[in-house]
Amino acid sequence: MALTTRLTWLQEKLLQNYFGGKKFSLLYKASVHGFSTVELLERCHNEGPTMTVIYSGDYVMGVYTQESYQERKEVSIILFVLQDTNISKCKMRLLIPWKSDHSGILQSCEGELLINFERKNVKVASKIIENLGLPQNNPISIQDYEVFRCEDLLDERKIEGVTVLRDSLLCTLRTHKPYGDLVPQVRILLLGPTGAGKSSFFNSVKSVFRGHVTCQALVGSDTSGISKKYRTYSIKDGRDGNFLPFILCDTLGLGEEEEGLCIGDVSCILKGHISDRYQFDSMKPITSGHQNYIGSPLVKDRIHCVAFVFDANSVEHLSPEIVVKIKSIRREVIKCGIVHVALLTHVDSMDLITKGDLIETDRCVPIKLKLKAVQREFGFALSDILVVSNYTSEWELDPVKDVLILSALRQMLWAADDFLEDLPPTEEEERMACVFILKITQGA
Amino acid sequence: MEVTTRLTWNDEKRLQKQLGNVSLSLLYKSSVHGFGLRDMVQRCSHQGSTVTMIYLKTNIIGVFMLGNYPTLSKYFEEPHYSFCFLFRSKDNITGTDTFLLNMAPEIADNQLMYRLSDETFFSLCPNNKTLYLLRSVKKKLGLFEGRTMDPFIYGECEVFRVEEFPKGINVHRDRLLEELRAYKPYEDLVSKVHILLLGPVGSGKSSFFNSVKSVFHGRVTRQAIVGSDITSITEQYRTYSVKDGIGGKSLPFMLCDSMGLDETERIGLCMDDIPHILKGCMPDRYQFNPHKPITPQHSAFITSPSLKDRIHCVAYVLDINSINSLSSKMVAKFKQVHKEVLNCGIAHVALLTKVKNYNEVMQISKMLDIPIRNILMVENYASEFELDPVKDVLILSALKQMLRAADDILEDLPLAETGKLVPFCPS
Repeated sequence: MALTTRLTWLQEKLLQNYFGGKKFSLLYKASVHGFSTVELLERCHNEGPTMTVIYSGDYVMGVYTQESYQERKEVSIILFVLQDTNISKCKMRLLIPWKSDHSGILQSCEGELLINFERKNVKVASKIIENLGLPQNNPISIQDYEVFRCEDLLDERKIEGVTVLRDSLLCTLRTHKPYGDLVPQVRILLLGPTGAGKSSFFNSVKSVFRGHVTCQALVGSDTSGISKKYRTYSIKDGRDGNFLPFILCDTLGLGEEEEGLCIGDVSCILKGHISDRYQFDSMKPITSGHQNYIGSPLVKDRIHCVAFVFDANSVEHLSPEIVVKIKSIRREVIKCGIVHVALLTHVDSMDLITKGDLIETDRCVPIKLKLKAVQREFGFALSDILVVSNYTSEWELDPVKDVLILSALRQMLWAADDFLEDLPPTEEEERMACVFILKITQGA
Repeated sequence: MEVTTRLTWNDEKRLQKQLGNVSLSLLYKSSVHGFGLRDMVQRCSHQGSTVTMIYLKTNIIGVFMLGNYPTLSKYFEEPHYSFCFLFRSKDNITGTDTFLLNMAPEIADNQLMYRLSDETFFSLCPNNKTLYLLRSVKKKLGLFEGRTMDPFIYGECEVFRVEEFPKGINVHRDRLLEELRAYKPYEDLVSKVHILLLGPVGSGKSSFFNSVKSVFHGRVTRQAIVGSDITSITEQYRTYSVKDGIGGKSLPFMLCDSMGLDETERIGLCMDDIPHILKGCMPDRYQFNPHKPITPQHSAFITSPSLKDRIHCVAYVLDINSINSLSSKMVAKFKQVHKEVLNCGIAHVALLTKVKNYNEVMQISKMLDIPIRNILMVENYASEFELDPVKDVLILSALKQMLRAADDILEDLPLAETGKLVPFCPS
């Protein structure tokens, strides 16, 4: 029913990126609206920059123009050809006919290009064909013909909208209260392979709330991973200095065989037995005699949400040992009743991704394909896989990245609320008893 | 001269969501393409569904058309689905801001209008930049701008092509939400209807609970663990209460989730556990053992369940994609369970996910011996990032049917059973 383009998502993406991060809105389709220059001009004049796509059997040919179509006016165009994933181009000037011209012909000023709508074919001069890398095969038949308006994927209006959204999210998260005020701060555990971006994500979160890029957790490319201690980071709100309602817990990265986080340590972390700055030992889990061991953790000491962190670019190339280890840990998390999400970092460095894609990740096909790959590999539900772009080398904040980071954080806080809401009644009664005793003590 | 919508980016996303998570492509903008009816029609005809946004001084009026825009030369005999709505730049969406226009749009006298037997409900005159709305339409949209009989003057008009199809879905969703919030079990015999979700491993039982909770919470939730590998198999008996929004009161139903059925003996839900679940003896959070059913000696076993503890409706949850691969053993197991459900006199429905054609429904009806009217179709929130009114309606409709089925059973209880505190099932 709705008018749709014949372009595949990959073709559209390649053209979007080639012409500088454009969004294409389909305006005219010859097979629906008629092979007619009159109809074309009626629908497509005064639209600003446009892209015209001609579908031949073996390739896609197109005309890109920065100026509006206006009758009886010359416009500069780029004639391009898309074959597989390669784009070649040639510049020329096109003469836009009168609306009243019923010849059905559109041609360039020098005559190198002649589009005949009535006969549904295109004639291109031999030298142009040679330059574009096409076979000498004139005239070229037209199967269909589409015209798109070209807009910037990331224009001033969208940046403003993203900034408004960023500010709204900041306010929501600053004032968030964990479910039923059961705990003063929600504990979110970041787990993942070495180099996945756990510490980088923490730094990014802190940067967003501080209002400038900051660096507290050390980040490096050392293959064994720099984070060797268990850290529980409480973050001060940059504006008024209050602590934010969550704590991010960082661990040793997961490694192969004898490297990385010891599996035996995981359940201790989840239940809240390990205190800040515990030095991990890959070979030996913590014991109850250790000075960092918390014998009787309260609800506030335990982990309320687990985020499995993966680098979007390397998540599909993890070794089988690490995959098995992650699945094993996920089962442990489920046994403890803790809600979990998956966090894909560095989506901005994925192939074909531009910044414009980051403001609507749910409509971006390469990102969707990546999420499906993660789902297949680890079994996470699609709605539990979040995407972010960490701050790694920038000096200034970017509202687009901020929104991704804050949205992911909001999902984690919601997940933690779900966990707290689902706690067995005894846990809640225990807390109420503590509060009661505390009040008695204060009253004395 | 830039061809860009006047909507802020956030408002555009809000509009997309209101129309059912659609894509919008701007086709016509009056300040660029001309304030003439012909200018509008020549760009908007033969584009599929459209939404026309009319910017008044302080309000934005929208008109969604499911069918093609009318043309200058053609008179539409057949009415098709349209609705007129007041677009609000804030998150609360109410159903009273929409007026259904079940009549054909037409072009006449330089106007785009909806009229029925000499009464004009809606009339847009681009040449004069005026919008006329019938008094009842104004009232429905809550518009009091300007004097009663005068047409509005608008500053801008934009038409978008709508990709994907809303069907007044928000109105329907809101109505269903209200019905379910206000629902009371038959003659208040129980305060909450207990709905048991039963089905093979991976059929979407826990997903359905999460989806129901998501609808009432207004955001995607993940209380029941969901996934697509062996790690996420449900192993505990859970009775989930659903709250109406954050900090809201509990809704009048509980969803009970159990271990999945497996065709192999001693794997999945133990058959002897089922009568205990149905009678209401199974405690919340009971850890299932595929090899051994619960016994009355268990510390948390409910020895004298009352009517309120029982299961009042059973929903068999099936992924339609795996129906054809159901083994004869699994079908036999289903029949065994179904026999137990019938013995206990409990209402039952089948809940299918991702149905594509009617033949599949017929197949289920025959296989499980369940009437067609008791087969419901939903799509869980397993692959979406935001709430979707279309899915909401499917989920809420299914829930409504379950509650109705439970009511039928409660109504049919012998009088003696409603007052007694003895188990209903034959021993």
